[in-house]
Amino acid sequence: MNREAPVTAVQDSLHRRGRLRIPLYLLLVLVFLIGIVGAVLAAILLWQVSQHRTPRYAEAVEHFKYGSIGAEPFSGIPYRIWRALPKLFPEHFQGRDDYTAFGFLYENDVNGRPRDVPIGIARRVYRGIEVVWFNCATCHTGTISVAAGNQHASRRVIPGMPSNNLDLHRFLAFLLEAGADERLSPDRLITAINEIGPKLGPIEKALYRWYIIPTLREGLVLRRSRLMPLLAAQKSSWGPGRVDTFNPYKLIQAKMSFGSLEPKEIVGMADFPAIFQQGPRATMHLHWDGNNTSLAERNLSAAMGAGVTADSADHEAIERVAKWLLDLRPPPSPHQPESAAVARGQDIYMKACAACHGYQGAHGYEFKGERIGQVEPNAGLRVDPSRLDSYTEPFRAIQLSEFFKGTKYQFKEFRKTDGYANVPLDGLWLRAPYLHNGAVPTLADLLEPPEKRPKDFIRGIDTLDPHRGGFVAPPCNSVTLSAGAFCFDTNRPGNGNDGHLYGTDFSATEKSDLLAYLLTF
Amino acid sequence: MDQDIIFTPLQFRNLQVKNRIFRSSISGRFDNEDGSLTQTRINWECMFAKGGTGAIISSYVPVLMEGRIIAGYATVHRDEYISYWQKLGEAVHSFDNCKFIMQLSHSGRQMDIPGVHNYTRRALSSTSRKESLHGFLCRAMSRQEIDHTVGAFARGAWRAREAGLDGVELHAANGYLFTQFLSSGINDRKDEYGGSLANRTRFLLDVIQAIRAEVGSGFHLQVKISAIDRNNVIPWEGKGNTLQDSVQVARWCEAAGADAMHVSTGSLFPHPLNPPGDFSFETITATYDAMISSGVDTLRNYFLFRYRALRPVFRWIWFRMKRGLPVEGISLDEARAIKAAVKIPVLSTGGWQTASKIRAAISDDSCDGVAIARSLVANPDLPRFWKSGEDLPPRPCTYCNRCLLNAPKNPMGCYEPKRFPSHEAMVEQLMTIYKAHPILRVPDPAEISL
Repeated sequence: MNREAPVTAVQDSLHRRGRLRIPLYLLLVLVFLIGIVGAVLAAILLWQVSQHRTPRYAEAVEHFKYGSIGAEPFSGIPYRIWRALPKLFPEHFQGRDDYTAFGFLYENDVNGRPRDVPIGIARRVYRGIEVVWFNCATCHTGTISVAAGNQHASRRVIPGMPSNNLDLHRFLAFLLEAGADERLSPDRLITAINEIGPKLGPIEKALYRWYIIPTLREGLVLRRSRLMPLLAAQKSSWGPGRVDTFNPYKLIQAKMSFGSLEPKEIVGMADFPAIFQQGPRATMHLHWDGNNTSLAERNLSAAMGAGVTADSADHEAIERVAKWLLDLRPPPSPHQPESAAVARGQDIYMKACAACHGYQGAHGYEFKGERIGQVEPNAGLRVDPSRLDSYTEPFRAIQLSEFFKGTKYQFKEFRKTDGYANVPLDGLWLRAPYLHNGAVPTLADLLEPPEKRPKDFIRGIDTLDPHRGGFVAPPCNSVTLSAGAFCFDTNRPGNGNDGHLYGTDFSATEKSDLLAYLLTF
Repeated sequence: MDQDIIFTPLQFRNLQVKNRIFRSSISGRFDNEDGSLTQTRINWECMFAKGGTGAIISSYVPVLMEGRIIAGYATVHRDEYISYWQKLGEAVHSFDNCKFIMQLSHSGRQMDIPGVHNYTRRALSSTSRKESLHGFLCRAMSRQEIDHTVGAFARGAWRAREAGLDGVELHAANGYLFTQFLSSGINDRKDEYGGSLANRTRFLLDVIQAIRAEVGSGFHLQVKISAIDRNNVIPWEGKGNTLQDSVQVARWCEAAGADAMHVSTGSLFPHPLNPPGDFSFETITATYDAMISSGVDTLRNYFLFRYRALRPVFRWIWFRMKRGLPVEGISLDEARAIKAAVKIPVLSTGGWQTASKIRAAISDDSCDGVAIARSLVANPDLPRFWKSGEDLPPRPCTYCNRCLLNAPKNPMGCYEPKRFPSHEAMVEQLMTIYKAHPILRVPDPAEISL
């Protein structure tokens, strides 16, 4: 069909120009199409990065075990990478595709299959990426096995007790090492992620290659540069169930340099504490050294230790955990000592111990005592001072001036003390080993003078010792170390088992009666 | 009290006007497609004559059909139209001897609505570069076409004189054909009509000489020029002629036989400074569609006018030149400079409306008279107000420029809603120019072509 002739000179000119400009128009159309594709990609990316959510758990105990407190955004690991690490570093995971090698605990889901993340690992979608990291349960959920030799059948998970299995030192050391390992390169990591499935889409793949993996590695390398000098100077592992509470905190959150730390403060290991019944403790000196009298501040400080920052803290989630812990009672002791011995032991305890620690009554633990929850000068206690010395005035000054600055959460109550707090002993049966640094394996050993207490013992066994109180803890040279077991040497810095001489001068009968009573706590 | 200088006669070499008030060129699409004028035009011009204006300068009157600016305006390209113009002159003169000066013009490339005669061809111009604002197409005139056009102006002047009109004005301002030759921002010719100022002025001077040769020295001839081109409305265009250039052009016009100079501004029409005032985007959106087919850049402009998001672009283009300038007497400084350089009378145009300001301008020798369009459209009896001692009428022109922006599509008149109690009242006012009807008749069979 013939094209209609133009009527006006303007139309004629536009027709001629049209022919001349066809390539230009095609180019413009191309640019437009590329722009559309770019805009769609940008919209997808924008939608992706605007996604922020975390699962909500109806049950408080589930929230405690799996709920996020806000540690993931700035401290966490993308979930897909978390899943892929066992595949890339099998030697650190004892060949398993989970994190049990580090003492993390897995529960089964409703279908009876192990959950994909352990207790103490929370999930949060941050900027469209699902990230996992610690919550309160990481350090405060442990296990007991009642009958020796049948661990798997009777192992019981107890939220709120110290995480007696978790070897946090080994886990952190592994991550810092992995950050500098060539296996964490985008190619190998993406291959591992895809093998586990589901496969990454093209946009996700690009995100992982160009943003997520480099960001993760950069973060790990930075942490490595800050923490490695400390871990090297400490010379020995913390061991399962223990953490150096404040030294990593100084280097990461407070950004203090390792060089600014005094030699006597660089070893600050302590046992994970039990966190039962926080309500009655509200007016006490909290932390092993009693450096804070505010539950809320202590909770937030602990959350920072788990990786929360001022910008990422999920205060509502933290407060939900705190509220649940106010009256969380420990399960009753399974030990059944002779009742007459218990009664005799109670008499002794009430005279010698109750003023500082309170006592186990007929209806539960009584948080009563003249000096309960008060700081006992270490000049009298004479236990290992390392944990006390690791909390310093320069660090306190930063805590008070910088953390949550200008918000209602800004720290005010931290104090430097001269000793350790007299702690209530509720749930004593599952808080072994004893003393703040876990240097004494059983209650019976604690009633012995330091020179008679074990010089070394195995930590990491969760089988109860119904006679001595605590967990089975054979001497290191008596057994072949199994995977996860750890030889605790009381001669190493921070591991001293001196001090707390109360009851060590009792007669054997008195000690036996006192132990019988303590086994009921 | 001394006589008000506004109402003292202005004596030109060949013409005396009863006062200093000139109706500047303005009208609407009142006339026939063949260029013959209608009763409506006569009514329109008589409205101002009755109002007391001293002289009426007609709207642009093309000397050739190829030089129409907007189709539907009366032309003077045929001898048989002399009688029509004669009737118009007779009508205007009947109002207290109001004078009538025909503005001879040629659109050149600035052809807003080409009409059926012109839409198949490019307009003639000094250049082949399209017009900068609307993208009107054009081609550079040949020497023969220049000569032909010069002759057409001379014949146009002759027809005006034959019609008994009182003089002619050459529209050498505001971007039409004469400006396209005069302006250094537009004229890119390499021959004797381009390059130097003298060469660029050659076409205008040729026309003046041809008119003088045709009608002698006894017929009033004045020249309207843009004193400063300000051709860079579209920012990348050249600035064009300066005031110094225009002073020289005025001297040459005087020497060639011009009887007066009429000083305006701007090398295109409309121009941010001519007519000075506001710019109604809603109005232009309602009327500019009539011009979309006229140029290659008009559709772009329509989008700039139509869409609010794009309006800031045009607003910046349009209003950046106005900063710091008054609306009333916007070109008075230029008129003063030209008056100082010539001996013939000088008229100033641009927003005049206040008697005291006009009085001051004439008294201090900045100009000899003022030419007014919009303020007289709003109040055709403005001279009567002044004569009664008022400085401003009760409902003055607001310089909204809606009259200008309606021109391509609607009857000429005042469209400022603030000046009327209702839209119906405004329309009724617009329709008054149709009140005196032509006498209709049964045509002679010889007048009907088959």
